[in-house]
Amino acid sequence: MTRRLADGQRSDGFATSKEQSARLDAELITRCRAGDLGAFEEIYRLHSGRLYNVVARMVGANEADDLVQDTFLQAYRKLGGFRGDSTLATWLYRLAVNLCLDRLRSGEAKVSRKAESFEEDEPAPAPRRTTELVVTRLDLERGLEALPPSYRAAFVLHDVEGFEHREVAAILGIAEGSSKSLVHKARLRLRTLLTR
Amino acid sequence: MGVRPGLTMDCKDATEAIGALLDRTLTPGDQAALDDHMRTCASCRVLAADLRRMHESARSLPRVKPPETLWPRIASALDAEIRSSPRRWFGVSPWMLAAAATLLLAVGGTLLLLRPSTMFRPSRPAATATQTAGGGAAGAELAQSVESELREAEQHYERAIAGLEQIAKAEQGTLDPQVAATLQKNLAVIDQAIRESRAALQSQPASELAQESLFEALRRKVGLLQETIGLINEMRKGNQAGTARIIQNLNKS
Repeated sequence: MTRRLADGQRSDGFATSKEQSARLDAELITRCRAGDLGAFEEIYRLHSGRLYNVVARMVGANEADDLVQDTFLQAYRKLGGFRGDSTLATWLYRLAVNLCLDRLRSGEAKVSRKAESFEEDEPAPAPRRTTELVVTRLDLERGLEALPPSYRAAFVLHDVEGFEHREVAAILGIAEGSSKSLVHKARLRLRTLLTR
Repeated sequence: MGVRPGLTMDCKDATEAIGALLDRTLTPGDQAALDDHMRTCASCRVLAADLRRMHESARSLPRVKPPETLWPRIASALDAEIRSSPRRWFGVSPWMLAAAATLLLAVGGTLLLLRPSTMFRPSRPAATATQTAGGGAAGAELAQSVESELREAEQHYERAIAGLEQIAKAEQGTLDPQVAATLQKNLAVIDQAIRESRAALQSQPASELAQESLFEALRRKVGLLQETIGLINEMRKGNQAGTARIIQNLNKS
């Protein structure tokens, strides 16, 4: 089973070309700027499914409603300043992930400052085992909750949601190499957590 | 990775290579070096199997969907925000301001023009400048600067109007012919007012009344086009009450 979505492929499975997506985004943004709330609802319908999943995996289902609402309210306020340097989807995910990171960081005083940032640190040592690792959904979800925010963001976007490293980098505002490094460290940390 | 041919891969490089393998970015050379390493390293074999299993589990996590009630909640919060927004300027919504700002930046204009202090009181310095025209170059410069700002402010409206007209035209087929005719009639009246105000301003550039009359007409045009788009939206949604309310307003204007 694969959920990897290439550029231009919508979360509802309806594939469109990059140009079509860009044209649709531009049209919706123009209509929004003219005060058309119906166009903003279309943006919500197009992006909320996948975005909600990311937010729920980042902060948990209990807080997802509030954070997705905050994301779209912020998007509404800021859409006037959207210059199209990234796709509309990337821009929305960036708003959402930043809100999630703020929420997680404000609630995790125990996490060291180094792990909270996107700075490099040494990978967790690989556990010495020879038996097979059993990964249940619940274990994986608990493991995700225990990851530092930046690791969790990179892992959810890349390994759970199927974004490419360049897309993860654009969403998190980091270099592509840093995305690879974060995802790799997140996997090793998660493995350590799952084998405890 | 880039392990040189002939050299063996150590566990640290192998760990990175396993990550690249999962990402499908491992080069054939590194793949061969990793295979060699794993033939003799049980620990890295286990690591590769663990990470692959985790990767597959992550991909198959069930999707969490937004509840049906979320959009109505967001729409209601947006509505409250729009209603309570104090930033109404010449009857232009914050959306229009944003669009205008983007357009102005795109053509290299300056946001200074959009300051209400300049926009609402353009004629006073111009009048002062006219009075002192014979005596001071500074006064003349000021008058010129105000006129230039007014011209640019007018262009800001024109660009906003052009954007709205484009949307309204593209969607006009949605409208009932009778409603479309009323809209055209109202637009023609406003366009006539714009032409007359411009003519008045040309003969009396410092006239506060002529300036206000022009901006009032431009403001009315922006408002009418916004109402048109609002009407199209309500019709699309099948909201009969909203449609009737807007049509009633259009007939009054």
